[in-house]
Amino acid sequence: MRLEMGNFPVKDVIFGDKSVYQDGILTINKEEALAVVREDEHITDADIVIARPGEKKRIVPVKEAIEPRYKVDGGSNFPGVIDKVERVGEGLTYALKGCSVLAVGKHWGSFGDGLIDMSGEGANYSYFSKLINICLVADTDEEFERYEQQKKNRAIRWAAHRLAVYIGSIVRDLTPEQENQEVFELEPITRRSKAVNDLPSVVYVMQAQSQMEEIGYNDLVYGWDMNKFVPTFMHPNEILDGALISGSFMPCSSKWSTYDFQNAPMIRKLYQEHGKSINFLGVIMSNLNVQLEQKKRSAIFVAQMAKSLGADGAILTEEGYGNPDADFIECFVALEDVGVKTVGLTNECTGRDGQSQPLVTLDEKANAIVSTGNVSELIKLPPMETVIGELQALARDGLSGGWADDEKLGPSVKEDGSIILENNSMFCGDQIIGWSPKMMKEF
Amino acid sequence: MKKAILYINQFFAGIGGEDKADYTPEIRAELVGPAMLLNQLLDAEVTHTIICGDNYMGSNEEEAVKTILGFLADIEFDIFIAGPAFQAGRYGNACGVIGKAVKEKFNVPVVSSMNPENPGVDMFKKDIYIFPGGKSAAKMRTDMKQIAEFANKILRGERLGSASDEGYYVRGIRHMVWREDEQPASERAMAMLLKKLKGEEFVSELPIPKIDRVPVAAPVADLSKATIALVTSGGIVPVDNPDRIQSASATRWGRYNIEGVDKLGNREEGQFKTIHAGYDPAAADTNPNRVVPLDALRAYEKEGRIGKIHEYFYTTVGTGTTEAEAARMGKEMVEYLHNEGVDAVILTST
Repeated sequence: MRLEMGNFPVKDVIFGDKSVYQDGILTINKEEALAVVREDEHITDADIVIARPGEKKRIVPVKEAIEPRYKVDGGSNFPGVIDKVERVGEGLTYALKGCSVLAVGKHWGSFGDGLIDMSGEGANYSYFSKLINICLVADTDEEFERYEQQKKNRAIRWAAHRLAVYIGSIVRDLTPEQENQEVFELEPITRRSKAVNDLPSVVYVMQAQSQMEEIGYNDLVYGWDMNKFVPTFMHPNEILDGALISGSFMPCSSKWSTYDFQNAPMIRKLYQEHGKSINFLGVIMSNLNVQLEQKKRSAIFVAQMAKSLGADGAILTEEGYGNPDADFIECFVALEDVGVKTVGLTNECTGRDGQSQPLVTLDEKANAIVSTGNVSELIKLPPMETVIGELQALARDGLSGGWADDEKLGPSVKEDGSIILENNSMFCGDQIIGWSPKMMKEF
Repeated sequence: MKKAILYINQFFAGIGGEDKADYTPEIRAELVGPAMLLNQLLDAEVTHTIICGDNYMGSNEEEAVKTILGFLADIEFDIFIAGPAFQAGRYGNACGVIGKAVKEKFNVPVVSSMNPENPGVDMFKKDIYIFPGGKSAAKMRTDMKQIAEFANKILRGERLGSASDEGYYVRGIRHMVWREDEQPASERAMAMLLKKLKGEEFVSELPIPKIDRVPVAAPVADLSKATIALVTSGGIVPVDNPDRIQSASATRWGRYNIEGVDKLGNREEGQFKTIHAGYDPAAADTNPNRVVPLDALRAYEKEGRIGKIHEYFYTTVGTGTTEAEAARMGKEMVEYLHNEGVDAVILTST
């Protein structure tokens, strides 16, 4: 499978009469873009606001992030979600780099939503502070969940996907500079050269978030809810090219946004080492479950596939913490038990005081782990000049890292606009997808 | 100038040795014993020295702590130093007890030093900064210097490094840090996997504690003749909690007589309750037999299915309790159980 990516670096995003990309400047015709957003009648209010790195802006509640993309040959961008179900991961895809489309609630937040500060100390806590964020700030008529802590956020998430494709389509008739073209290609496993075959074979095992039994909250693969899924073998290109869509559940710092899937740095790293130090077999896509039998079943599938594929090593990663740690450790042990040398990639929950057991369950076989952060670290941040969205959402709406009141700490949102929250609510903050420059240390 | 206070025992105050170990707490607005050295090394003025006999602290802990906290109530200070305690177990305990209490009450940093063999290390390393020290007072200068250097860093408001950077005992406290080299997790994972594949040494960023597995014991040959004891980590205690077992991170345990008792009375009846802070106490307070199943076991005893119930049940609190403390308490309990002819134990957790 061969995927060509044509990249268009974005230096700035502005509004103008005509949607156009020129010399790194992306100009968006706001009305045209909002018309795409309003294709869904459930969107009752929408605006687009730009937030650039270094600006004194705070964005909350952020529900999703997507890199603007466009399939030049007319294929599906997000199959089974806003486009028909079609194979992705091959052909030519254009991407606008250095920017992302954010789905932001105009008022209402939910458990899995996050916060991004574009400057100051808060900017360290999210990868997305480094990107130019094209914020879709919207409200919907989804009354059934308006006051629910858990929200599906369907209308606004889908609108953001449409917007990302609209923005991607701005470069549809252009040709990327030579230096901005990338090729992702893996030969079929049984057709590889001796030199590649002689290298240690490695799989990447991804446990995507799928713990909600009710449809509508979980990550989707080709539009399929991953709660109703058993592990399967995927080509890494499918993940880089829109097959996976982020869900609307799980404390935010542990989440993988759609942007994370599209750019998965671990996949890129495995590609980089392929043919040099490893033979990258591909991705075993797994999930996260709530019942022990389901956890075991998924671990059995993963270990069997890894073994049958001839994997010598695996990198195993979970989109979550707490209950999902049981899936993570179960799978880690299952892989080690069939002789696949495994490295885990996860965050920890050691509590505000740092004294809690880092994962819900541990096993001596999980002897190689890269750790990306502590979900419960307490963070205080000063006010920002501008808030995109609604600051009160952090305190009022049950975001995983915020609270309405606390006898010692008071409310998460103070009168002067300063905030106190747990790292839990930093947008995809622990960057378990592979970006995290953070680790854990003993104090 | 910032201000510091030093805690020392009767010996280092020059009052006396074992014969003076019952010396009651005293505060002096002067430099006593090692306080002079500390005052030289510290970027702060040591304004007071607190002295207390090790035995007095050991056997009258509550009173001693209360008195010393009383001394400090009206004194301004920025940092509290205890020891160094070297290998002296009771002195280490005293430094830990008072250090923890001062930190909790006044929210000031507390620094101490103890030899790795000092039991005070495991008991208090979670609560205060303790540096590894020498075996005896011959190392006074070295140990005090290490304390002072770290204390000065705190006093200057410098960013403190991790346990391995600074040298104090690992406290089981894990916090998030940004790597100076900013190396992303994906690169670290790749590098670790390559080492693991090649069989080379690697360092996991999340060390898994060595799990001490206990083999399953042989079955009891004849239950109808066996003496069975009830042991719990569920925190069931008489309502006045006479042994002051802590609600979390317990270091103490108790055993309570249940001879002739058919079932444990509840909190409302003024009998038993739970002090465990790690679960909703409602069910256990209403019926403590849910955690210590004396009522059911008594029925078995009457039916002759077991020989007899041991005269005491044993209890502590499991939440936040370190494995080391749990093992120590377990060993202490086993001594009683062995001596009193117990054949088997029902151990209930929560």
